Formats: sequence, structure tokens, C-alpha cells
Amino acid sequence: MAIDPGEWGNAADFDDVNGQVAICGVGDSDMSKASGRTTQEIVGQAVERALADAGLEPTDVDGLMYVGMPEQFDVAAFHEHFGTSHDIWESRKGGGMTGAATAPYFAAEALREGKATFVLNTFGVAWATQRGEMTGGPGESHAQDLFKQNLEIPLGWFPQPVYFATIARRHMHDFGTTEEQLGAIAVAFRRHANLNPEAVMRDKPLSLEQYLASPKFVDPFRKEDCCLISDGGGAYIMTTPERAADRPKAPAIVAGVGLGNAYTGTHWAQQPAFTSTPAVFSAPAAFAMAGITPDDVDLYTCYDPFTIVTLMQIEDSGFCEKGAGGEFVAGDTLHFDSGKLPTNTHGGMLSHAYVLGISHVVEVVRQLRGEAVNQVPDCEIGVYGGYTGPQCSTIVLRRAS
Amino acid sequence: MSERSERTNEATSDERVHRIEGHITRAAFPLPDVTWPLTAEFWAGATRNELMIPVCDTCGRYRWYPKTECLSCDGEPYTWTPVSGRGTLFSWVVVTHPFLPQFADLVPFVPALVALEEDPSVRVPTRMVDCDPGSLTFDMPVTVTFREISFTGVDGSVTAPLFVPA
Repeated sequence: MAIDPGEWGNAADFDDVNGQVAICGVGDSDMSKASGRTTQEIVGQAVERALADAGLEPTDVDGLMYVGMPEQFDVAAFHEHFGTSHDIWESRKGGGMTGAATAPYFAAEALREGKATFVLNTFGVAWATQRGEMTGGPGESHAQDLFKQNLEIPLGWFPQPVYFATIARRHMHDFGTTEEQLGAIAVAFRRHANLNPEAVMRDKPLSLEQYLASPKFVDPFRKEDCCLISDGGGAYIMTTPERAADRPKAPAIVAGVGLGNAYTGTHWAQQPAFTSTPAVFSAPAAFAMAGITPDDVDLYTCYDPFTIVTLMQIEDSGFCEKGAGGEFVAGDTLHFDSGKLPTNTHGGMLSHAYVLGISHVVEVVRQLRGEAVNQVPDCEIGVYGGYTGPQCSTIVLRRAS
Repeated sequence: MSERSERTNEATSDERVHRIEGHITRAAFPLPDVTWPLTAEFWAGATRNELMIPVCDTCGRYRWYPKTECLSCDGEPYTWTPVSGRGTLFSWVVVTHPFLPQFADLVPFVPALVALEEDPSVRVPTRMVDCDPGSLTFDMPVTVTFREISFTGVDGSVTAPLFVPA
């Protein structure tokens, strides 16, 4: 069962950026089901809030990061939204997903070289609004992959809930993981969402009994194992720790960043380590850069498209032994107020909103400042783990001393 | 390996993935495009009741999926080769919700991954048929069967390699 990691992926060779970047402002949009808003309206709202949080004006932003997906908040959208026209450095190595963790790595270079002084990273989606027009919902991008069109989809192995239910079943076989253990993840994140007025699922309680009573629509998954489809977005502003010290809110310092790759990409069926994620590569790299161990982490947030992906990243990041994730997450381990590893304390993509990780980083910063809705006591070190399938990223943020 | 390590600083991964995109304009979707060069021989083999998997001409390992460059040795040429059609059930799910409208008449169905007898690291996406999903067990022996597949609202059918318990 043991697969040589070199057989299926590797870690990016990142320079040390520990202490070079600080996050000095965060904001997210209203989170909702279908809102009728455009992606740029959604992100614009998040950016306005991030600017207010940082005590900055739109003209102070001279760097902009996003990801190369449709309708993202590029320089033209920024200027249109704010009525500005100044020069802005831009990079597509940001946004949500893995980019929400690696944007500060690439911003570090821009800050070092004087290309920018305040760099904004944003991401947003209006997928709940757009859902009605899409072919197969978020599966569409997968359906455009011709190997999938010709080797997977005709056999019915499609879309994401099917991929990850298949992985979950094998994880159950290999390691004894149970439905109750997957349910503990869904229940913990829902509890966080119930306590968070900004969460889409704020009014929808979920007990483990309710989880187990829910029908399995892609056995072994229930709908509670799967993330939401939402309208929403987020933004954070990066600068040097020196400049951040002059901002109104306590900065969060970027201590470590890692990026891991899986050679088989989104062809999960062929990934040699079938029940692993590239967090195997990204997390040790980020922790080494930060000079910490998993035991030092006070708060974990991770890209949680499915319960099993959360569980695998917890294992692969070293918070427990590989295969012990089920036992680890059972009970209250992930809860903000009583758990050993408070995780996705805003509710995550399972219960806060499916905004692809950008709100996870916003949440880490709020926790480090002590202003989170579900505040983890004495939170000094927070981690976000990003995921796309082909890649995992890990960022370690620490409270400014 | 050198080429591989050069790519690792990229923030985007599609290059490493060998992803090839094509917008879904085919009326026959989700039937396969049996003329797409990279998988045409897989589907041609199915019509002859042969399960065909490519072998890398350079390193001799199975090239699955049939990408233009071998993930093991970076070699390019490969040869489609018939395999026994025997394997083991690596994992499966029971789908009761039709994720595509074209799957409406298919549910409930059992998408599965079958590990080939010749090389269990080769996993063939397929559907388990002629079985009670409750009777399936991990790593049980399975064998290929060639069946016509068709979809709700889509004209035509294609012969596909499905699997049954051995």
C-alpha cells in the first residue's frame, strides 16, 4: 500500500519568504445562494470591506492578484468599480483555491522589487446564480477535459461527488474510516456555520443523527458530505510587515508557504496514492519554512469540497498519522471551542459558502486578531490548506509579535 | 526528471496534467467521441470485444491514460495492446442522483475503478453491471463484458467495456 511519494508528485522549490509579507486587511462579500449579482459586483463588495479594514483608499492599491478564471477582478474591473485610473501591477498567481495560499509567495517578490506596496488578492464566484445556465454545474470544467469525455464520463464516472465518493470508499477500506467519522466533519463545520451570521447555512442545524439519516445519493456520500454552491467572494491586502504596522488592525505575518503537485492532475482514478492529496508535499514545506511542527498549529482551515478531502488533508498535513484521520476527527476534535485542532471555524465550504478558499484565509486572519465569530482561544498560529486536486498549497500565518 | 522539476514553480498545474480541453459541442455527449485520436483505438477495440490499453514503446509500462508523453519516462511513442479483461474491483460508488440529465435512465448505477490483472496500477473507469451493489467487495475478481451504452435524449450507442463479478 505504501507508495513512494516521488512516484506521484513533488513540492515546489520555494525560496524562504518567512517574515517578508503581512496581511493588513481582509474582507468578504455577503454570502448567499443565487443572488442575481455578478462576480465583479460580489468581489467589489469584498474589496470595499478589505480596504475599510486596512484603512486604505482604492488609490493606495498598486498591486492586484487574481486567478485566470472567467470574470475575475482584474485591473480593468478594479478601475471600473472604483473610478480610478492609476498604474497597478497585476498577477494571475492569486485568487482562491491553492492561489489563496500561494499569492503571498508571489507578492513577496513584487514587494521586494518595489513593483507594488499594497497588493490586493481577490476571488469570487456567482456560481449559484449561474448554475441554471451551466452544463452539469461545477462539473463543466471537468467535462471539457477530453480524456474525461472519452474515458470517464461515458462510463458514468463523473462529476466531483462521484470521484470523491470513490476515493472515500477506498479510504474506508484501507484505513477503516467510517461514515460516522466523515459525519463528524460535516457536523463540526455546520455548528460553526450555525454560530456565524454570515454563513449560508446559519439557520440549518445538523446533528450526527440527522447526518446518518440523510439519504446517500452517491453512496457512500450524502449531500452533507458535499460543499455548497454559492455566490460570494473575498479579498485580502498584503504589504511588508513594516508598512502593516502602521495600519489600524493587527497584521498577520506570512511565516511559511508550500505548494505540492500531483503528476496525474485531475485524473484522480490514476493517482498512485489514491487516498492522498498533494498536501503530503505542500504542508511539510510550509511548516519547515515557518519553523513549526503540526503540533504548533492553533487553527486549521482547509479547502473542503467534500468531507473526505478535509480528512485526507488533515492526515497529509501531519496533524495525525496517515490513515488515522477518521479516529482523529471523531467527536469534537475540529470544534472551535473544545477541539484539539479547531478547523474551518467559519463553517468552511461545506456550510459557510463555496467561495473556493478565499474566506478561509480571511478567517485565519480574523482568528489571529482575536476578532473571529467563533474565536479560538489564544490563537497565534493559523494554517490554510488549499486544494485543486492537481495541487495542494499550505500557508502558515502567525500573529505579529 | 529534470524537465519535471523545472515545472514545479508554476502556480498553475495544467501543463503537468496534460489536460486537453474541448468545449462540449457534440450532440452525442456523453457518448465518447470514438474518432478522438488519443482514445479511438480503445473504442475500436471495444467493438471487437477487446480491451485495449497502450504500452509505452520506450519503457514498456502501460500508458494509462494514453497521454502523448509517458509519466514514467517522458517517452512518446506507444502501442495499443490487448489485455485479458480480468482485474479486481478497486473502488466503486452507487449513484442514485443523475448528475447529468443524460444519466436519467441510468440511475441507479455503479461507476467503478477496476485494477487490471496485468498491472494493478492501471485503473479502468467502468460500470459494474449484472450484480447487486450490496454484494460487491473490495479487490474482488471482476471480468470485462462488452455492452452497448446509450443515454437519455442522445441518439445512438457505443460498445463499451463494462465489468461483472468474475
